Amino acid sequence: MDSTDNYLTLLDSLSSTLRQGWLDLAIARQSMGASRINGALLDHKSHSAATSVQVDQEDVDSMEAQPRFSLLYSSDIAEMPQLSEEKTSESGAQLDVDDQIQKERAKLLSMFGTLISPKLRAAQLSFETALETLVEIANMRSAMLSSFDRVRKELDHQKDDMEPVPSGRQ
Amino acid sequence: MYGFEAMTFNIHGGYLEAIVRGHRSGLLTASDYNNLCQCETLDDIKMHLSATEYGPYLQNEPSPLHTITIVEKCTLKLVDEYRHMLTQATEPLSTFLEYCTYGHMIDNVVLIVTGTLHERDVQELLEKCHPLGMFDSIATLAVAQNMRELYRLVLVDTPLAPYFSECITSDDLDDMNIEIMRNTLYKAYLEDFYRFCQKLGGATSEIMSDLLSFEADRRAVNISINSIGTELTREDRRKLYSNFGLLYPYGHEELAVCEDLDQVRGVMEKYPPYQSIFAKLSYGESQLLDKAFYEEEVKRLCLAFEQQFHYAVFFAYIRLREQEIRNLMWISECVAQNQKSRVHDSVVFIF
Repeated sequence: MDSTDNYLTLLDSLSSTLRQGWLDLAIARQSMGASRINGALLDHKSHSAATSVQVDQEDVDSMEAQPRFSLLYSSDIAEMPQLSEEKTSESGAQLDVDDQIQKERAKLLSMFGTLISPKLRAAQLSFETALETLVEIANMRSAMLSSFDRVRKELDHQKDDMEPVPSGRQ
Repeated sequence: MYGFEAMTFNIHGGYLEAIVRGHRSGLLTASDYNNLCQCETLDDIKMHLSATEYGPYLQNEPSPLHTITIVEKCTLKLVDEYRHMLTQATEPLSTFLEYCTYGHMIDNVVLIVTGTLHERDVQELLEKCHPLGMFDSIATLAVAQNMRELYRLVLVDTPLAPYFSECITSDDLDDMNIEIMRNTLYKAYLEDFYRFCQKLGGATSEIMSDLLSFEADRRAVNISINSIGTELTREDRRKLYSNFGLLYPYGHEELAVCEDLDQVRGVMEKYPPYQSIFAKLSYGESQLLDKAFYEEEVKRLCLAFEQQFHYAVFFAYIRLREQEIRNLMWISECVAQNQKSRVHDSVVFIF
């Protein structure tokens, strides 16, 4: 029940984050003009994905493997969190990570121009948060389905154990 | 001599001034907006607009409607009215009307160049261009690799040619120098329009100076806010501000070094006309700033109609229609996203 409650809370959070993101995008279009924010400006040049999803198989209690999802960011950032893990006490390295993340975000938004409304940056942040929430939802769902499978198997075993042994008389 | 326009203006401009004042009376009122804000679907919006002057433009649009369709059809009405006025106008009014559309021409040029850089289809980009900013050779923009080619192949024969002198380089086009190009062109256009209006003299010069100065100041504030946290240096930011307006030159010096919205507020509050705008905002709030600027602009545009025998009414009408279309776009977005509680955040009433 706790898992279901967490799952529904995450779904609710995703919905409100996406609503906020779409509204921020509409506000940015209102401010900058429809010619500056529209689908015709999206970049069709081939480039690597800014974010990708990695699926690992996780062994739970030495039973069936349960898929585990995680987000991987572009290679420039991917190395930085490892650096930050080793040197978390050094605030300078943490600032470098933050700067790098800001630059990556600005680079992704540059298709709409470099002098963009703060609301467009807020929309980007909302959609990034929504992506992280989606991955959490996927993991939560995977855990719930795995628990459901285990409970069902235990119930099947118990049912088999309780079935009466047929008598020898015919 | 100022004050004697009544003797001669109506010879060439009387008919069109009457036409534009008639168009002005067709702008949506507060009760129209109240009805539109209560719509549940985009089809409801279409139904309410069918009773207005937009009716003939939307009546043949099939369901389901999209926000962009409503905006495009409403824009067509403005384009038809503008083209009628342009074909009937004589000099210098015809040049004045053409100046009113150069901003859209700049936006279209940047749209085509940016879209081509992103390997988009030219036809698709042409469909997204604003109709008021179209010119014959616009599709040829897609072949240019740098600004020198852009100028030499296409723009030399357009009204934007004189504005290119400050931004011709042989550097390949990329997102940053396209943005610099956009703002440099717009700066040159505004200054040229300002000089043209000064030459016309009379009430046109007086009223247009106020409207264009406000536009220049608003641009300066938006450039300052939007460049916070970017790679644009203070010097480059300063170069994008227009060389006229209430903020020129001392306000520009201060805005060029601002690092956050509160510093921008600190600069603007020294200027009495802008104190009221920034007084409406709480600290750190940028969303309502756009609405506050639009409201101030609408107030000034409506005042232009209080005087007769000048050309500023044409500029004011075009801008008021564009504000109306922005209002309709916002209302449609809020209805489409089921965010009706936010609909009054950005609607600017004209009357």
